[in-house]
Amino acid sequence: MSKQFSRRDFLKLAGVGAATTAILTGCGPASRYVKREPYMQMPEYTYNGQSTYYATTCRECAAGCGLIVRTSQGRAIKTEGNANNPLNLGKTCARGQATLQGLYNPDRVTDPIKRSSRGGDSTAVMDWDASIQVVADALKNNKPEEIAFLMGMAPDHIFDLVTDLANATGMNAPMRFGALGMFEARATLSKAAENLFGQASLPFFDVGGAQVVFSFGANFLETWLSPVSYTRGFAGLREARTKLRGKFVQFESRMSSTGGKADEWIPLRPGTEALVALAIGRLAAEIRGGAMPRAFASVDPKDAATKSGIKLETLEHLAEMFANSTGALAIPGGAALGQSNGLAVAEAVLALNAFSDNLGKPGGVYLSALAPNQTEYNRPASAREMQALVQKMFDGKIKVLFVHGVNPLFELPNSLEFGGASKYVSQIISFATFPDETAREADYVFPDHHGLESWGYQRVATGSAQPVLSGAQPVVSPYYNTRATADVLITAAQLAGGKFAEALPFKDEVEFLQSKIASLMSEADGSISALDIPTFMAYFQQHGGYWKMSDGRGVPSAEDMLNRTIAADEAEFAGEGEFFFVPFVSPTLAEAGANKPWLQELADPTTTVMWNTWVEMNPETAHELGIENDDVVKIVSEAGALEAPVYVYPAIRPDTIAMPFGQGHTAYGRYATDVDKDGNIIPRGVNPADLFGQHFNEAGDLAFAGMKVKIEKTGVKKPLSRLESLMGVYGIGLGEEH
Amino acid sequence: MATLADLKISEVKLAAEQTGKWGMVIDQDICTGCQACVAACAMENNVTFVGEVDSGYGRSMHWIRIERFWEGEYPEVKMTPNQPMLCQQCGHATCEPVCPAFATVHSQAEQLNLQVYNRCVGTRYCANNCPYQVRSFNWRDYQRPEPLPNQFNPDVTVRRVGVMEKCTFCIQRIHKAQDKAKSEGREVVDGEFTTACAQACPANAIVFGRVDDPESLVSQLGKQSHGVKHLEELGTLPNVTYFKGG
Repeated sequence: MSKQFSRRDFLKLAGVGAATTAILTGCGPASRYVKREPYMQMPEYTYNGQSTYYATTCRECAAGCGLIVRTSQGRAIKTEGNANNPLNLGKTCARGQATLQGLYNPDRVTDPIKRSSRGGDSTAVMDWDASIQVVADALKNNKPEEIAFLMGMAPDHIFDLVTDLANATGMNAPMRFGALGMFEARATLSKAAENLFGQASLPFFDVGGAQVVFSFGANFLETWLSPVSYTRGFAGLREARTKLRGKFVQFESRMSSTGGKADEWIPLRPGTEALVALAIGRLAAEIRGGAMPRAFASVDPKDAATKSGIKLETLEHLAEMFANSTGALAIPGGAALGQSNGLAVAEAVLALNAFSDNLGKPGGVYLSALAPNQTEYNRPASAREMQALVQKMFDGKIKVLFVHGVNPLFELPNSLEFGGASKYVSQIISFATFPDETAREADYVFPDHHGLESWGYQRVATGSAQPVLSGAQPVVSPYYNTRATADVLITAAQLAGGKFAEALPFKDEVEFLQSKIASLMSEADGSISALDIPTFMAYFQQHGGYWKMSDGRGVPSAEDMLNRTIAADEAEFAGEGEFFFVPFVSPTLAEAGANKPWLQELADPTTTVMWNTWVEMNPETAHELGIENDDVVKIVSEAGALEAPVYVYPAIRPDTIAMPFGQGHTAYGRYATDVDKDGNIIPRGVNPADLFGQHFNEAGDLAFAGMKVKIEKTGVKKPLSRLESLMGVYGIGLGEEH
Repeated sequence: MATLADLKISEVKLAAEQTGKWGMVIDQDICTGCQACVAACAMENNVTFVGEVDSGYGRSMHWIRIERFWEGEYPEVKMTPNQPMLCQQCGHATCEPVCPAFATVHSQAEQLNLQVYNRCVGTRYCANNCPYQVRSFNWRDYQRPEPLPNQFNPDVTVRRVGVMEKCTFCIQRIHKAQDKAKSEGREVVDGEFTTACAQACPANAIVFGRVDDPESLVSQLGKQSHGVKHLEELGTLPNVTYFKGG
């Protein structure tokens, strides 16, 4: 064990209070197989009434926060943050807390199953030997180029395993997708970094060290990239102990819960973000004096004020704030990037940082540290790349599709027609832990363990100055007859023989993991080091991963960044209609939280609505249209239509309506769905992705926010459950329904 | 307005002299309203969920909730700083004297408001009398189908229908830390343990500790001039201090 972490420090930091607390590890290869034992033969470290604690990694999103899970008598009782993990330093978000409701969810896939017909209820339970044979046959009996893997953004170790398999056999390289990645427009951020800094990367914004933060649509206190880390940064921004309390300005057309924390909230017209950023740059450059940077030269602030709906005085005042600060930071993100001009928005906002001269400095922009076993930034697929996959499926070029860790039938917009294309794929095999929409349309479901029952690792993509590889180990034995997907693939590859067997010459998942982390064992500057693999693996498990002890962030090159022209054109909007449509990711549910009942019952931070989908509408607009709270309206876009009740929302532009993403499941368990009077399963809420058309920005991300929609009244009322009381707040009493 | 002194009630004067033991400081300026504390509390304390219909009737069981209010009208609209609201563990609690069953009693040892579940007969007088509206009542035996009960914290009672419940300042954690300190022949060290909400909070907006120890972090923070206690004018002697945002 390295000198930085004594065992005593580790326990102290973990902040757990049990009398004989220990963060336990399997300690050696003999204990890699987790099995249930009767309490007659309890392991020696298990005492009745005393808890044991295991370090692992959260899988509720791809950020890779470290967890310490309290277990008692073989049950997982509580998740806490791992205080040593440099990414989250002992903290978690609400979804990390609720991960236990996934583990013990009453609607998991309990056994490997074969479905008689896709989408049908009739299934037959299989045994694992037969299941693995199905996978082996699928690998062996198809041409490698006809086999495709579609994977989620977590966990990384299975992605690495499939990548190795694909490289060795000529199979399609695995594609990764997640709705969060789509709403974060990760491809756009990466492309903008490539264009401006000469290197594709996920930029890291040091909010904590800044004095003034201008965020153009980035919802960094909700689900954006690495919310726990960014929230810590925000607390640092506000902290006034060693510096002045930092200022925060948010530019967005609908107040997000991030925007609610801003000192100034600027409701600009959707599509004018690039223009506004460049206008602020121009005004700020005028204040500072000197030569006008070429990037800002062609913008007319007056024109920007008119088009964006922001007063010129406001722009001048903001420019003054930006120009006169010693630590001004600008962040592009969210809906601002999910428009036809998203790439220009990202470039314009990053140019503000070059002007502020904060690149690679505290309080500025960095290139995120690559994880310890990573050589280049690897982003998830953009929507356009997914469209290419769908096209291949339509063309019959994909015969077998494996799906792991992602639910494309829910997360991908309907208009991309994944569902239609899947009919041309002869065999779909899902590894879903939960009975989601895609698992329902799969021929076979071979359930993976829940994240808390699994081995693995996740590379921390951004949010930590240090390079971090968060490690996962089972904290409880598998509750159901599930099997690790890595083990299934390793065994199947060996059965398939040939190149497949050569690609994965491992006994099991743990041996594969060890092969992937072995090179880190003796590297300098690591949090842990050891002379042999079993010891290193034991430390890796005990500490919840491996990280470097020094700053691994890259410094972006600012050369010529301000000396190029950036397009200030407004975004183009698809569809007919008088309203801009702003979809946003539910801060409490995110993409996969809908099946956890406590996440459903958390009040949305801005509206306090629970358990359903709503449409946010400005009070004046609602009044003009004769719409009241809880009135169901029909929203029509060029690609589809949906109905949802209105929440009259005081902090949204009158020409904009907004809707959260996260609900609208047609499968995914009892908490994600609803039942009608006759007991039929119906969706809970609606999925705004059904409205998205096929429009992309230059970087290939979906222009999900570049839409105009129509609203029609339906005359129906559906009361929303809210934590806030309607009484008094809007000057009205309770409705009849109550 | 009549002040407490005008009322000339001897018990009120006595209460005003009492000091608390455990307390909390919440910084509303950095609270982002992310709900991590709410989820952490529910997981730690076996708080049940009630479903869409009952939560619509205001029957959800949150022991801690994040309040936000609106000021002004568009475009000058502002969301007030997020305000986590939980039992203030009043030194002179209005919920206590109204309980006919002595279920809502004051702990002399810990200076906390206890809720004794097996005494509670469900009159709901305490919730009626709580100016902070932080008590929740079990209107039903809410279903937590198997295997969800596996995650129950064995240190916390599972409540059933007809019982009032509320934040306990994670008294099970207090007791564990005290037992451990006692077995090691020492006092509980500041920061050795904390409540579930404070432990989860990604912004570190919640600080918990001994308010009767002038050296503790929570005491030091509590002395800052911008700290306020909610509805202090009612004479409840709350043990939670808030830093207003902005």
